[in-house]
Amino acid sequence: MIAVKLIPHLLSWFGIVLILLRGFPKRRSVVIATSIAGFVIGVVGAFLLLRVLTGSVGFVIITSVLGMCFLFLWGVSVAAIYSRAGRGVTTGWGVRLVSTPLCAGSVTAISGIVAGAVCSCTLPAMDSTLMNLAMLGSISGALAYVLAYAALAVEKRISHSFTVSPSGMISAVVALQLFSSSSIIRLDLFSPLSMKVMKFAHDFVHQFMESMLIPDHVFVWSYLWRYIGLLFGKEIGFWGGMFIWFTPVLLVMCAVQYERLPSVAHIRQGAERRKLLAAAIRQRRLRLVVPFIALLIFTAAAYQSCYPNVEYWDPKPIVVTATSSGEIIIPMKSDIDLEDGKLHKFLFKQGGKEARFFVLLGPAAKLTVDLDACAICKPDGYGQADGTVICYYCKTLIPLETVGKPGGCNPVPITFTEKKDGVHIDALTLINEWTNTVQSTTKGKEGGK
Amino acid sequence: MSDNIIETSGLTRSYGDICALKPLDLHVPEGEWLSVMGHSGSGKSTLMNLVGGLDRPSAGSLRVGGADLLALSEDGLARFRRESVGIIFQQHHMVPYLTAVENVMMAQYFHSVPDEAEARTALERVGLGHRLKNRPGELSGGEQQRVCIARAIINSPKLLLGDEPTGNLDHKSTVMVMELLKELRAEERFTIIMVTHNQEVAAWGDRTIYLDDGVLVREERMSS
Ligand SMILES: Nc1ncnc2c1ncn2[C@@H]1O[C@H](COP(=O)(O)OP(=O)(O)O)[C@@H](O)[C@H]1O
Ligand SMILES: [Mg+2]
Repeated sequence: MIAVKLIPHLLSWFGIVLILLRGFPKRRSVVIATSIAGFVIGVVGAFLLLRVLTGSVGFVIITSVLGMCFLFLWGVSVAAIYSRAGRGVTTGWGVRLVSTPLCAGSVTAISGIVAGAVCSCTLPAMDSTLMNLAMLGSISGALAYVLAYAALAVEKRISHSFTVSPSGMISAVVALQLFSSSSIIRLDLFSPLSMKVMKFAHDFVHQFMESMLIPDHVFVWSYLWRYIGLLFGKEIGFWGGMFIWFTPVLLVMCAVQYERLPSVAHIRQGAERRKLLAAAIRQRRLRLVVPFIALLIFTAAAYQSCYPNVEYWDPKPIVVTATSSGEIIIPMKSDIDLEDGKLHKFLFKQGGKEARFFVLLGPAAKLTVDLDACAICKPDGYGQADGTVICYYCKTLIPLETVGKPGGCNPVPITFTEKKDGVHIDALTLINEWTNTVQSTTKGKEGGK
Repeated sequence: MSDNIIETSGLTRSYGDICALKPLDLHVPEGEWLSVMGHSGSGKSTLMNLVGGLDRPSAGSLRVGGADLLALSEDGLARFRRESVGIIFQQHHMVPYLTAVENVMMAQYFHSVPDEAEARTALERVGLGHRLKNRPGELSGGEQQRVCIARAIINSPKLLLGDEPTGNLDHKSTVMVMELLKELRAEERFTIIMVTHNQEVAAWGDRTIYLDDGVLVREERMSS
């Protein structure tokens, strides 16, 4: 079972080593050695990290490192396109830097650590005894050894005409890493990214409106609101996320496509000159292959992130009523244990009105009560899996840490008081919040925004 | 080995029962201008096609410019044709709806990448600087053949093959084409093998061989 789960991660790692070997053709031994060392360090390090640090801190660290890799790709792609587009940009030192063993070693080591850490996240619960650690270290070492030499064997069989530019190499390596991590919900980058974009758009529009006092302005025609409304939809998050996600690899492809050809003007004989030019063009075209594959992998990673392959915990709502004082009281422990860290859904019905909400104990041992709906989507509700809740409508994953905070596709939080006999919620507030939220998200058109 | 650009031994080509070329041993030194004569059906074109890599022999060995043509793959043979030989036929085989300069650029394209300036220069060298934008139909036979020469040598081949290139030309055009070839050979130093029916045309070469029914029957060195 665990072996099957590991296969995509190991394949990604194999691909990474393969590309690094091609990317640093003169540093094969450095790449092989550091790839094995890096992978083992990644596996063992992440294993310790996830067990020493409580809650989701370990995952947050690994996700941040992945995010930094992605940012690094952004930097590389911008630099690549700039050095192509800008006149008189000297790239000699960059080329020299890339060909040093130090560069090959550090890029490979970092890739190995990240890949190892991602693999480590799929491991089942184990105690961090010395025994287990030693076993983990030797197994991962053996695996990395086999994969590295397999990659070397394959790389030698791939035609020499396939070369890869440094930027192409980085884009493929980062793509494979994000592909590998996107299958683990808590390490996924794309969904949080689109959510952040959405939040940013919301906050921006909100601030803008507020500071400009636009709603009061007589010259704002109503149709303008339709366009402003777009900024509040979930599409803005998705498309913004797509833009940020795919731009670097597209930039790298452009940079390769517009790579300057070697100067052949000094060769007098026409046929010879044209032959060199044709060879350079052909080589450049082949150099596009790796970034193109990276583009496909980025697509696969985004797809995997949008349609994650997991089962969600989604209990049937328990019907509750209010006391005569207008309070809903849910005991901490009854048939269900509110503090077991799982999502517990309730349906409140009164006077023909109803509202769905859930109670959840967050990772920081903090209880939250929220509507089973968010401020922007159709109220399809949430499910829970692997340190996140997911909005069924827009498939956004929300880390448990941020449940209870308002905004974007987060569940709308409800004020409550925690007393000895349980959680107290004001029924009227709940009904009002639900009605407002659902009205604003299903108003007008079918399916909400 | 030697300075021979072409070395054949026992070179044979048969079509079923018909043996178009009987075992032939032929050596052509680099830079030579060889004329090939013989009756119709004597195997001259067969020989040219073999040497030019357009056809594969049935038996024997064939080395051109150091390359063993029998050992080359289809891709290798295509590359050999692209880079090492230029061919001129009796018919011009030009694309009728392309201009002269575009026809030359076609050859560049199949070899590597087109280069218009270079194609123009090549046409100027064969004396067609004023006919660059004309289509083949608007050119005289001699002019067409000169475009073909420009096209054949644009990729700097080591070997230029002509299969009765002057067969359709009048005396004046023939002399012009021959003079042009002589001039270009002096500059570019390629080897010429030219099939002809015309004794006068053959006399432009250094050596003439006579084929009869696929057999080399006679060889004659020109006194220069
Ligand atoms: N593709 C072919 N199939 C069958 N026989 C052929 C083919 N090409 C040439 N021949 C025969 O080979 C002999 C030599 O032809 P060829 O080399 O074209 O003669 P030449 O060019 O000297 O007039 C002729 O008898 C011809 O009929
Ligand atoms: Mg013939």
